[in-house]
Amino acid sequence: MNSSIIELKDIYKSWMIGDEEEFVALKGVNLSIKQGEFSAITGPSGSGKSTLMHVIGLLDKPTSGEVVIDNKNILSLDDDETSTLRSEFVGFVFQQFNLLNKLTVQENILLPTTYARKKFAYNPLERAEYLMDRFGILSKRSSYPNKISGGQQQRVAIARSLIMNPRLILADEPTGNLDTKTGDEIMKLFQELNETEKITIVLVTHEPDIAKKTRRSIHVLDGMVTTT
Amino acid sequence: MLNKLSPLLKSALADFRRDKVRTALTSLGIMIGVMSVVMLIALGLGLKNYISGQFENLGANLVMILPGSGFTGEGGGSFGGQGLVGGAEFDEKDIRDLRKVEGLEYVVPLVFKSGLIQGEKDEKVASIMGVNEDYFELMNSKILSGVIFDKTDVSNNAKVAVLGYSLAEEIFEKANEAVGKSVRTQGIRLKVIGVIEKTGDREQDSAVIMPYSTTFGSINPQKTFWSIYLGVPSEEEVESVSSEAEKVLLKRYEEDDFAITEQAEILTTVNQIFGMINLVLVAIGSISLLVGGVGIMNIMYATVTERTKEIGIRRAVGARRSDILTQFLTESLVLSLFGGLAGLLLSAALVALIRIWFPVAMNLTAVIVAFGVSSAIGIFFGVFPAKKAAALSPIEAIRYE
Ligand SMILES: Nc1ncnc2c1ncn2[C@@H]1O[C@H](COP(=O)(O)OP(=O)(O)O)[C@@H](O)[C@H]1O
Ligand SMILES: [Mg+2]
Repeated sequence: MNSSIIELKDIYKSWMIGDEEEFVALKGVNLSIKQGEFSAITGPSGSGKSTLMHVIGLLDKPTSGEVVIDNKNILSLDDDETSTLRSEFVGFVFQQFNLLNKLTVQENILLPTTYARKKFAYNPLERAEYLMDRFGILSKRSSYPNKISGGQQQRVAIARSLIMNPRLILADEPTGNLDTKTGDEIMKLFQELNETEKITIVLVTHEPDIAKKTRRSIHVLDGMVTTT
Repeated sequence: MLNKLSPLLKSALADFRRDKVRTALTSLGIMIGVMSVVMLIALGLGLKNYISGQFENLGANLVMILPGSGFTGEGGGSFGGQGLVGGAEFDEKDIRDLRKVEGLEYVVPLVFKSGLIQGEKDEKVASIMGVNEDYFELMNSKILSGVIFDKTDVSNNAKVAVLGYSLAEEIFEKANEAVGKSVRTQGIRLKVIGVIEKTGDREQDSAVIMPYSTTFGSINPQKTFWSIYLGVPSEEEVESVSSEAEKVLLKRYEEDDFAITEQAEILTTVNQIFGMINLVLVAIGSISLLVGGVGIMNIMYATVTERTKEIGIRRAVGARRSDILTQFLTESLVLSLFGGLAGLLLSAALVALIRIWFPVAMNLTAVIVAFGVSSAIGIFFGVFPAKKAAALSPIEAIRYE
């Protein structure tokens, strides 16, 4: 139970601002996420939480350091291999949902499966139906995302992150665009997924209330992880 | 390949269904690009066909001797007398002199006038022509019914006439029933002995043609000729015969009193004009292609932010760069083919319609170039931004502004 599924070693991420100045967003982060964990990343706005999540979620490459999955530094993989890993290893939930408005709810949830290279041990459509049913959006399966509520959109996004049955779910302020009540429901959903299905979840939040509900708190300050 | 392509096609078609405005605008751009080029070239070809139809009946081995300095540019028709000014008045002596020129096949005097011609059914103002028997050979006239007049008719001032098809059709019940009946013009009565086939030359087709000697009464009391046509066996001899004929005429006339024009020379000039018209058409076509292209480009670029974000989302859920490129290539291809085909079909329909009045024609090269260039622009501006977006990290693409 205590094996780490992803490990960050001495991660730096910086951008050039203009021609001269370099902005360093992550300053030597070391972090290990263990199988089955439910962790919250907290920290003030601009401290580097999203940047860290993107590195963990293989959505962006760090400037230096190592990202180790299954004893392999995945930064040495080429783009196709990284894409495959992104498809199978991780599911990402964004604050802005990031659904495609021209696809229906069901098509959005199934989108990751259209790019899958692996053979499925299950029927993707059945799993999509199961997830929609479980999240209470089955009646909206043929609707378009811009025609449903924010809470429903985030449920679609969570279903999409789960469709490939990944080993890790990352959520960057998933309740940030929702009202408190809806936000609480979404948080309950994550808790449930972690408890009943032992899904590893890392989520970013700056609400201490939510952070308390998680089992582990990772505090980020000025590009560095202070407490884990 | 096919089972990999069909979901792509399906997803591209689904995209179009949900993105109607962009789809319509893009294919419209390509459609207009294809259509304007194909139509412009078709119209240009029509113009060319029309004008060359007017010239076709005159053989390339024809030398025309005209009084004055020849064509002045006005008038324009092959017999349009308005274009001529002053100069020599040719007569039978000139014909006799010219017959002595070595290497000449035909010498045809031409009397030309316009006047009222009465037939059995109707009357009409048309061309009255007096020529000799060689005229028909020289002009490649084909007889539709009856016969043409011969040497004897010419020397006997026979009151006979050969009618052009359109004239015969208008002043008699039926064109081929005119033979044996008579026509009246300028106070004389002529027996119709033949009708010649339609040539496409308006003046030829609506002329009444008689022996030139027959005109020497009321029609042409001065017994002069409007023009003299010379027939040369082959194109190579045109040059030498022309200069021989010139020498003969210079014995009697001043240099400025007549002009010798070779048909081949006119054809060359006409062909040069066509070359120029074609060049202008190609230029106009290229401009409309460019305008169409810029339109396509604008539509593609107007949606680039939205599409880059879409690419970021697709990449975030596992799409490889090649998946994105295949998707956008399929999409652009389908759009271009759709727009291009629509443009072609519309052009074909328009061309078929206009052909009723004007001999327009589709040109394969224009079709291929128009289709090819429009599609290439559509595909390039569909795929190029996608390629750029796919090169970004997924998060950069999602956050693209
Ligand atoms: N693409 C980028 N280029 C330059 N600076 C960036 C970029 N993305 C983020 N940053 C900066 O990095 C810092 C950390 O950002 P972020 O990780 O989004 O913070 P958080 O999510 O904790 O609010 C911020 O100051 C932000 O302005
Ligand atoms: Mg953030």
